Amino acid sequence: MAMPRLPDQEFETQDIMINMGPQHPSTHGVFRMVLTVDGEVVRDVVPYVGYMHRGAEKLCETMDYRQGIGYMDRTEYLANFNAELSYVMAVEQLMDIQVPERAQWIRMILCELNRISSHFMFTGAFGTDVGVFGTAFTYSFIQREIVQDLFEEITGDRLMYAYFRPGGLAWEVTDNFVERVREVLTQVKQGLKDVDGLMTANEIFIARTRGVGTISTEDAIDYGMSGPALRASGVDLDIRKTEPYLYYDQVDFDVPVGEHGDVYDRFLLRVEEIRQSIRIVEQCLERLRPGPILPERMPRMLRTPPGEVYIRTEAPRGEYGIYLVSKGGNRPYRLKIRSAGLSNLQALKEMTVGQYVADAVVILGSIDIVLCEVDR
Amino acid sequence: MTTDETQPARATGRGGAQPASPPPPPSFDDTIWPVVDRALAGVTATPERGSLDLIVHVPRDEVVAALRALKRHADLGFDYLRSLTAVDNEDEGIDVVYHLYSTAKRLNLTVKATLPNNDLRIETATGVWRAANWLERETAEMFGVTFAGHPDPRTLLLPEDMTDTFPLRKDHPLAEIEVLQGEGMGYTAEGQ
Amino acid sequence: MAVTPADVTTQPATEPRPAAPPAPEPTTPAVPGEHPNEAPRLTPVEVVPGRALYKEVLPGVLQVPADLLLAASRKSSLWPMTFGLACCAIEMIATYMSHYDLDRFGIVPWPSPRQSDVMIVAGTVTKKMAPAVKLLYEQMPNPKWVISMGACATNGGPYTRYDRVLQGVDKVIPVDVYVPGCPPRPEALMDAFLALQGMIMEERKAQGRA
Repeated sequence: MAMPRLPDQEFETQDIMINMGPQHPSTHGVFRMVLTVDGEVVRDVVPYVGYMHRGAEKLCETMDYRQGIGYMDRTEYLANFNAELSYVMAVEQLMDIQVPERAQWIRMILCELNRISSHFMFTGAFGTDVGVFGTAFTYSFIQREIVQDLFEEITGDRLMYAYFRPGGLAWEVTDNFVERVREVLTQVKQGLKDVDGLMTANEIFIARTRGVGTISTEDAIDYGMSGPALRASGVDLDIRKTEPYLYYDQVDFDVPVGEHGDVYDRFLLRVEEIRQSIRIVEQCLERLRPGPILPERMPRMLRTPPGEVYIRTEAPRGEYGIYLVSKGGNRPYRLKIRSAGLSNLQALKEMTVGQYVADAVVILGSIDIVLCEVDR
Repeated sequence: MTTDETQPARATGRGGAQPASPPPPPSFDDTIWPVVDRALAGVTATPERGSLDLIVHVPRDEVVAALRALKRHADLGFDYLRSLTAVDNEDEGIDVVYHLYSTAKRLNLTVKATLPNNDLRIETATGVWRAANWLERETAEMFGVTFAGHPDPRTLLLPEDMTDTFPLRKDHPLAEIEVLQGEGMGYTAEGQ
Repeated sequence: MAVTPADVTTQPATEPRPAAPPAPEPTTPAVPGEHPNEAPRLTPVEVVPGRALYKEVLPGVLQVPADLLLAASRKSSLWPMTFGLACCAIEMIATYMSHYDLDRFGIVPWPSPRQSDVMIVAGTVTKKMAPAVKLLYEQMPNPKWVISMGACATNGGPYTRYDRVLQGVDKVIPVDVYVPGCPPRPEALMDAFLALQGMIMEERKAQGRA
């Protein structure tokens, strides 16, 4: 949407600084930004992060490798399995452990189901930002409860699973796992139709999101963005395709790529990724065979040899990387969590300057940040 | 997981007695090292094999020139900065680590520069990738490294009034568990 | 032949006037203070010791103490300020949603501190965030309560050993209910609200927090 040109003013105006404080219904957690506005048009955005900085990296240096899995959960609490996966993959890479096949397929199923529930949370929170206050949340949380019920049957916890271990899984899944996953997929497909009917073709929704918050391809790469926020700008970069881990190179799925780089593209991309995740899970269920979930000789004390590794996986928000430096022993020497939210937030100023104030909230919602991951 | 890189000849110390012969110098020709070596002509670069990617050690004063050369080289084109961080090796100094990625050629590279403990300054990489902006701010406040020429050297994650200690350094202790109310902030609960 | 009014008045009475009815015997009145000749106005009521007489006389009237009424209305309509900080916020939102509905208790999430009753501190409070928490607490009007949800708000939780984390939100604001868990289940948060409602009914302070 082209910015309208205002007639020349005869009087002088002043720019106002508006503080969207740490406590705000639509900042997705404790995020603060100071907008400098000229009338309704945003001239400058200064984001302040760090209100949720809890020192996960420092605390993990004092923890054993198995204790640190809980901290990864709490960093990225909407896509826990993807966060745990990066961490255990880093340990496995350093110790050169071969994970049994059944564990890898189950990991894939759980990670993709977690992607589905995370994207549903996005549709709920984003719908609330755009104006579908409450209804979007209700629809999306129904689907999240369905998926969380399945996770609770397997792992015992609703939100902080701590189920992956270096080498495989902590314990075997339930006996009716395959039937339950198929039930969940049926219900999720229906939920997707609800979300589509509510928002995708809604002309008010399109008017609020089409053409808003664009970022060009070169800028997106330069800022180090990743995930759906990057793919909406036309960059075909999905770590599941470019550097496949688990068995992503053996299943068939498409990676949606946007054209305009605006907010509506990011929304459509995530809804389409839910469909592709359903496709991946169905294929994984076909290939699941009985077998062990941990290698035969797992040491009781995990001691990694000296070395370092940077493992990157495609979390629902972007690239979740773990840089693990080990100098021997059973604790990491340095654990760096490369969070997608921090890198995506750097581009907020680029996307928001020149838009209206009401669009600032919509753009922030479309980046889909989780403050615990940004601040760690 | 892609495991197409073979492990280097490491002395494992297991497997019975073997005659003591020096291991052959490791060769990096099966990685992207030859191309990187050409790109970094004029910069003293030392390769090392990491667990997944190639690591290149570059002296501190030539880091930004090396990064710029790596970005501009036609065969490499590292246009994506994945991560920028630091590692505190207590006596040997602080290593600043850059993880690079090339979107066109799909290549990965890690670049490391070591800073001595008495002089923790390095030039900023924001001129090469804008992604380095916040990553350098975070590294600066966590380790006490100064990035010379940074456009916006404020604290990112830590509170503005607590910048005298650097949490991620090895000599920074963990907090003690406070038992009494009001110890942490100097506030007391109402009514007390 | 037409009878004129004149005829009526001059006619002598043919019948004697009927005698006045005998005076009713004086009876003891059922309700003391009533006149003996009055027709009874109220049906006699049996006085039962220990039972309020007015319930028989005026049915449909409930007599309650004023502070009980205030406390009952306050507990039935607690409006929490949406203050979800971290992972506990997700469980808090899940408790508001249709699966574990909190709206049936009258609990409606409200963004503004000026118009809310309860502050649910859901998540870790860092030292950077603590002044904002205190400011928001002071902006809430009396009566106000605080629920500290999760292990992090209780005493710092898993992050208590990091020195930029406030070890419990009760270091800056007074807390009424602590909910353990990391994160607490939605049922635990509902239990906390029920405990808070019980507290409100017991205390019944008319001025709120002094």
